[in-house]
Amino acid sequence: MSSSERFDIDIRELSVHYPDREEAALTAVSERIGEGDVVAIAGPSGCGKTTLCRTLSGFVPAMIPAEVAGEIRLGGASIREMAPETLATRIGLVQQDPDAQICTLNVWQEVAFGPENLCLPADEVHARVERSLDALGIAHLRQRTTTTLSGGEKQRLAIASILAMEPRVLLFDEPTANLDPRGIQALFVTLSDLVRGKGRTLVVIEHRIDALRALAPRLILLDRGRLVDRYPARERLDYALLGLRGAWAASPANAPAGPPRLRVEGVSFGYDQSLWENLSFSLRAGEILAIIGPNGGGKTTLLRLLAGLVSPTMGDVVRASDTRVGFVFQHPHHQIFERTVRQEMQLERPSGGASIDEELRAARLSGLDDAAPLSLSLGEQRRLTVATALSRRPNLLLLDEPFIGQDRRNVLWMISQIHGMIARNGAVVVVTHDIPLARALADRVLYMEKGTHICGSPDEVFSRLRERGDGVFTPEAWT
Amino acid sequence: MTASQTTAGSGCGLHRAGPMANLFLLIALVAAVFTYPGVIAGGAVLVAVVVLAVASGERPTRLVYGLRFVLLFALVLFLSQALSVRDGHTLLAAPIRITVGGLLAGAGMALRFVVILSASALFVRTTDPDRLAGGLTRMGVPYRYGYLLVLALRFVPFFQEELGAVREAQRVRGIEVSIRSPRRVLHAVRYTFVPVVVSGLHRVESIAISMKGRCFGLYATRTVSRRGPRSLWSLVAVSLGLLAVGLATAARLWRWVT
Repeated sequence: MSSSERFDIDIRELSVHYPDREEAALTAVSERIGEGDVVAIAGPSGCGKTTLCRTLSGFVPAMIPAEVAGEIRLGGASIREMAPETLATRIGLVQQDPDAQICTLNVWQEVAFGPENLCLPADEVHARVERSLDALGIAHLRQRTTTTLSGGEKQRLAIASILAMEPRVLLFDEPTANLDPRGIQALFVTLSDLVRGKGRTLVVIEHRIDALRALAPRLILLDRGRLVDRYPARERLDYALLGLRGAWAASPANAPAGPPRLRVEGVSFGYDQSLWENLSFSLRAGEILAIIGPNGGGKTTLLRLLAGLVSPTMGDVVRASDTRVGFVFQHPHHQIFERTVRQEMQLERPSGGASIDEELRAARLSGLDDAAPLSLSLGEQRRLTVATALSRRPNLLLLDEPFIGQDRRNVLWMISQIHGMIARNGAVVVVTHDIPLARALADRVLYMEKGTHICGSPDEVFSRLRERGDGVFTPEAWT
Repeated sequence: MTASQTTAGSGCGLHRAGPMANLFLLIALVAAVFTYPGVIAGGAVLVAVVVLAVASGERPTRLVYGLRFVLLFALVLFLSQALSVRDGHTLLAAPIRITVGGLLAGAGMALRFVVILSASALFVRTTDPDRLAGGLTRMGVPYRYGYLLVLALRFVPFFQEELGAVREAQRVRGIEVSIRSPRRVLHAVRYTFVPVVVSGLHRVESIAISMKGRCFGLYATRTVSRRGPRSLWSLVAVSLGLLAVGLATAARLWRWVT
């Protein structure tokens, strides 16, 4: 195919069936995506969005075995004839988990990896790397070791490394998942330039469909592997009615604040450099605290401090003597130890309380007792780790980015669990980049940025953020 | 010691040397202790490794801490040789017979072991694997093999991170891990290494997808866009390597002749 050729994508009756699954991942999906189109793919967790992207980029079935029927044509040619590395010259896929995409140990080298594989001249490789680093706002990280980056920085790096290959079609599998609001805005400015300035085709999988408004995408809805609806670009949609994440109605727990659950007194922390200094706040039973802020600001580190997993450099974290901590990590697989869901629920389980069956039913995991936990979808794994944390009957629940990669239904389930904790006189600390959700849920907000922190009621914190020009961290920027 | 945390060329000492110079130095030091196995040669090479490590920004305490298990195993090697080899003058007859030959054999073997492991650790610590892969490619080694090395080194920090996360998850879940009894060891293996290995296998699969998705293997060659730094330290590394091999060979020949 020559560079002047059009790269329209024609999906015809595409069905994909993984050998270890009973139901098909995709069933008779047909769609035409013209060159320069911007398409958002949405739908509940496990509906086949990621499979569609992986099939479009040739990984299914070439590297991930599956039975594939139907056809995908790119610029008139069937992609079945192309090896993934050949297809990758035209279609670039930014995967869901940025960690899984990083192949090297150095930021500059990571971005150069693709262009070097294309055998481009060294000068061109250098130029593309610098352009991509600048576009994603990570030029200052070029000498860093990839393993030392925060989740958001890794996500930007993963995107930069695909942009550097300059494919005509870009597939993004939840590109905003690990990005802070500033990063999301910067990403969409970059993507707008690519679409409007260079005529690139964009296909974006996204649960937080509100974040995509600026790109005015055409919306495709999948459900249980089938394409169930299409909405043209620029149509104003009520995402909640479509079952998608969008605006959230205020849902604070409204429980009377109880006795202090923990006090953070003049805490400083840092590895080589100080992340923050003299941080003080307290949390009472019945309160929900949302922690927001840019990537790399130390939000996860603060949760680890509150859980007693690390100690502060200075100051003190004082927990009430009867405090039982439940901690749900950002990546569920780190907290899964057993071979089946039921065994996982039984592990170190205190006696008494609800039965495992009741807890599995509450977590919408009934019928999966004998399933291997790591074979579950991300949403199911998340519900399992929340259920195991709650089975220990904590009165202080720490949640690290629990809404990442979760559809509206799972988010609502998570909110119901948080409210349940509050009703039982517990306290909840939740780290999130979903500002509208933080606004709707939290009694108090803590904004953390390297060297700065603001703590108070949501109105106080958002008002101060507006004053200092950080409006992107306020709910208005996302409605 | 962990895999390179700083980029070659941006630190001091061997960080500034070219990757191929560092590789040559490693091979030469290992060759030297095998060419002339003995306490003096092993000790001299070990001193050279420690001096190079300190010159490359390693703190001596961190160096010893990083090699604590190596040193422990070296002690086991020394004791096993000292107690089993019975050549030469007897120093102690009862209750256990210890001879000069046994002590020298033990010290020589332990030193050789420590030299190989510490020199390898210093190499990993100071060499940028991407540049090393580039260097090997320029020497005619197919780039796929060079990248096998990069990937292997990429997994060192990955496993460290995963292990840290799994240990924290164990604490949060109240899973006690100890090695006080065989049953406890099995328990520790099940709840520590199994999650880490499973995670590692998933990661291997996704990185393979990622590499293909960035056209790895599309052509028979690939561009090497960054060359290793040219610095005096490359010359120092090569000279030291040549000196070590030269002295060890000369000493071996001298012993053979006399």
